[in-house]
Amino acid sequence: MAKEVFMPKLSSTMEVGTLLQWFKEEGESVEIGEPLFEIMTDKINIEVESYEEGTLLKKYYQLDDEIPVNTVIAYIGEESEAVPKDPPVGNDQEGSMEERESSSTTEATETESNVKESQSNKVRATPSARRVARENEISLHSIQGSGPKGRIQEQDVAEMVSQTETKLSTPLAEKIAKDKGINLHNVQGTGSRNKITKADVIGHDTASSDEPERIQLKGLRKAVAAKMLESARSIPHVTLTTDVDMTKAMEMRQALLPIIEEQTGYRLSYTEIIMKTTAHVLGSHPYVNASLIENEIILNKSVHLGLAVAVENGLIVPSIQHAEAKGLAELTVMSKTLGKKARNNQLTPEEMSGSTFTISNLGMYAIDGFTPIINPPETAILGVGRIVRKPVAIDNAMEIRPMMVLSLSFDHRAIDGAPAAAFLTELKECLESPYGLLV
Amino acid sequence: MRELTYLEAVREAMSQEMRENDDVFILGEDIGVYGGAFGVTRGMIEEFGPERVRNTPISESGIAGAAVGSALTGMRPILELQFSDFITIALDQIVNQAAKLRYMYGGKGKVPMVLRTPSGSGTGAAAQHSQSLEAWVAHIPGLKVVQPSTAYDVKGLLKAAIDDDNPVIFYEHKLLYKTKSEVPVESYSIPLGQADIKREGTDVTIVATAIMVHRALEAAEELEKDGISAEVIDPRTLVPLDEETIVKSVSKTGRAVVVHEAVKRGGYGGEIASMIAESEAFDYMDAPIRRLGGVAAPIPYNPELEKSAVPQVPDIIQAVKDTLNRA
Repeated sequence: MAKEVFMPKLSSTMEVGTLLQWFKEEGESVEIGEPLFEIMTDKINIEVESYEEGTLLKKYYQLDDEIPVNTVIAYIGEESEAVPKDPPVGNDQEGSMEERESSSTTEATETESNVKESQSNKVRATPSARRVARENEISLHSIQGSGPKGRIQEQDVAEMVSQTETKLSTPLAEKIAKDKGINLHNVQGTGSRNKITKADVIGHDTASSDEPERIQLKGLRKAVAAKMLESARSIPHVTLTTDVDMTKAMEMRQALLPIIEEQTGYRLSYTEIIMKTTAHVLGSHPYVNASLIENEIILNKSVHLGLAVAVENGLIVPSIQHAEAKGLAELTVMSKTLGKKARNNQLTPEEMSGSTFTISNLGMYAIDGFTPIINPPETAILGVGRIVRKPVAIDNAMEIRPMMVLSLSFDHRAIDGAPAAAFLTELKECLESPYGLLV
Repeated sequence: MRELTYLEAVREAMSQEMRENDDVFILGEDIGVYGGAFGVTRGMIEEFGPERVRNTPISESGIAGAAVGSALTGMRPILELQFSDFITIALDQIVNQAAKLRYMYGGKGKVPMVLRTPSGSGTGAAAQHSQSLEAWVAHIPGLKVVQPSTAYDVKGLLKAAIDDDNPVIFYEHKLLYKTKSEVPVESYSIPLGQADIKREGTDVTIVATAIMVHRALEAAEELEKDGISAEVIDPRTLVPLDEETIVKSVSKTGRAVVVHEAVKRGGYGGEIASMIAESEAFDYMDAPIRRLGGVAAPIPYNPELEKSAVPQVPDIIQAVKDTLNRA
């Protein structure tokens, strides 16, 4: 009996997954644990491994299809086993089995609605378009037809073929194109066999410099866009800022830096000191470490710290579980490795979900304060600015001190100004006398 | 080279054959002194005499029966029906006798006859004298069916038809009788079953028969102004049909428009379109095959209505543009 392969539900908020690639073709054999396909959820790309072994009998979806979770997307079983022509609809496994029975044994007497459904899934393409697609191993699903009723004509496929054809180019041309963000497919090559040379890329760059570049909102960018919009629209944000004297925190970092580096091989940064302090202070301010889900404020017992990481094309927030129970060495290792994984797109769903409070650090730039946007269902986010030496009044005297601005955005539905201010004040005090963390 | 009209070319083909071969003779209504309904045989009785240019009573059944009988005895008769509509009267002889005998006698007898007859509309001859019924005879195994479109073709094809040992239905289009083209003086033969590419093109194949060949060529010229390159193929014989030439052309262009004057419903264009769809050209098709044919109504007497009952040049242009999504 063929086994269904489902679109996995990888997080509580995941509703659809976008198919990025298949690692197996129909008819290929699959082992348990072998990567079968890659999907993108609202914030992650992940390879999904097979739970079954056998032959991949049928793939129902194409690249870039958005597929609801728990939908049957493929079948694995014995070679030559019969599977339905169309993907079973609905998430109910029992139901999908019945559907399979009926569609494989009573094809001739398919009900009218079934017929309609299967027709609407079909691609409208001329025989010639199909032939050219077949010859070039291109999926017709990825092509926009220009004929009547969206019919795909041979020309449409030919254009797709010429777009996807690999062009010859010199390594230097490739590097320049990459640096300048130029798509080599748009560059005309003048070298032997139309090879694209350095001069072609530079020429293309100046020739097309007036043209604005248009980027389709998709993938991670689209997910970030949707999440930010939802947060900014639905959450009444209030942002508080305060100046923190980082003199003692700097001293502490200087003292701990060689110790932690020797122990872990990683360099302690202010991010970890701020994380440690934040986790500590959140312990006594549970209403700031809260999640607002529907009409419930959930006061989280543990602090799972989200750390905003800028990646190519977007923003990812890996989370460090139970940050309050971790020492600076462990936090350093975790934040460095998670940051690297995020940039390499290797985070697991567990590493990306469940954060209760997020820290967004722009301290590496010439930024003081800003208004961070909350990462729902969290109710607050801390924005960290740069450390800059400034004159401050200490006991009626002017002194130059390393100062840093902290910006706390909170969800005014869940938190009021006073408790948020109390939290930020305690955080400031704690950073100004960090040895309190040892107590 | 000298030019001849289509009508003169038919006459020349018959006369040259009759001078060469004593077995060839012609029969039909008023083909003698009167010269036939359209004047095709004018002057022939003077050259060949009433024994070989035989006037018959007004009985298509009788003419056809006499032709079948004489062909079985070894003669090679050419019979003329004044209007192809009247083939209805002769069909029993044609379908049940002429088409069958060579098969039923295991090849021991044969029926080498040619039935010449003018078809088509455009002369104001109304519903009973304007039909194009070639699909009927094309359906019958044992008959060959020829539809020449030019003076050059008609001479060579008629020679081939006379030389053929099977009954051949030879359709001459009334409107084509006065058209001219260069025709060699000497006798020549165009093999039955060989289509002619009347115009080469790359974007669409127009398969047209008889008068429609000329309308297709005119349409192709108009289309060229819009940058559309149409290939025009004249099958010349419906049976046997030169499938290879058509398939090759459609494989090249990816689009086909089939056009004939006969009523579209049940017309031979359906056969050609199906043949294309079944062939290896299918994988090269980039648009549905279009058929153009007459409307399913008797040909009207009113000249304007008569024109609108069959495909005209603008109809062909439109159909071509449709297949190219350029409408």
